[in-house]
Amino acid sequence: MENVITKEGAARKVGGRAAGIQTHQETAYEQRLVARFQAGEPEALGSLFDLHVDRVFAYARHLLGSREDAEEVTSEAFLRAFERAAGFRGECPFRGWLFGITRNLCRDRLRQPRLLLLEPEEAERRADGGRAAAQMETGALVRQAVAELPEDYRLVLTLCDVEEWEAREVAAMLEKSLPATKSLLYRARRALRARLNELWEEDEEEGRGKRR
Amino acid sequence: MNCDELKGLLDLYLDGELPDETARQVDRHLMRCQPCAYEVRTLEQTRALLREAVAPAEAAPAFRERATARLLDAFAAHLRPAPEAADGRQWTLPFLREE
Repeated sequence: MENVITKEGAARKVGGRAAGIQTHQETAYEQRLVARFQAGEPEALGSLFDLHVDRVFAYARHLLGSREDAEEVTSEAFLRAFERAAGFRGECPFRGWLFGITRNLCRDRLRQPRLLLLEPEEAERRADGGRAAAQMETGALVRQAVAELPEDYRLVLTLCDVEEWEAREVAAMLEKSLPATKSLLYRARRALRARLNELWEEDEEEGRGKRR
Repeated sequence: MNCDELKGLLDLYLDGELPDETARQVDRHLMRCQPCAYEVRTLEQTRALLREAVAPAEAAPAFRERATARLLDAFAAHLRPAPEAADGRQWTLPFLREE
């Protein structure tokens, strides 16, 4: 069976993660996959899933904060996008639908009453000893600062500075223009720095209080 | 280059998006200007801390498999709605979902 991702789409994968912006070539490639999917080829469905799963999952994971929630949203978003594509004829904007559905599903989840749990990151779970404690403390403060930022700041920061997506790709996901996305990113970086400084000061103040 | 000019270029500098010549001008300014150097350093540190604290989100292989299987089930049910499929099996997983 033809492995479409390997044969035609290898450039899209860097270090196992989806990379970069969607070029004209990528759009054409996606359209071919959608046409094959509509013609009844299940392999095309798998290739479309592989093409976008990292982006959809990362968006949901960083926004919702929970791996389980992100997995459910990702799975559901693909189902809905494929269903829409299956009933559509002509050039279907699959990626736009998929991202739009993902955003709506995430918004629905965020509206539900939920307990936000900040999950420790893998690196900290693996680390040990005193270094782990210090690392966890700093890591926890940084994650607290990120969690307290407005939603659009949190997303643009994690997608640009953690996931290292191109700003154009983030702009597409957030439904913003490129200049607006960059401006948002620059403000978000400064907001994170300011909040971190406040948290450190509070932390130090607390430490001094305990020593007294 | 003065401090005001640098302000508008700071993030482009951090992101490595400036042309070489402009980046060199920024470098020279940072050597001479402590407040601007401090501004750059704290932004760099903030980003480094963020990257240490928050890992990139990667979909787990087990999830990929589960999700793909679910999609293929839905695909079979949705796009081949005939009661009998080509191989004679009855597709039993209807594509149920709420819009």
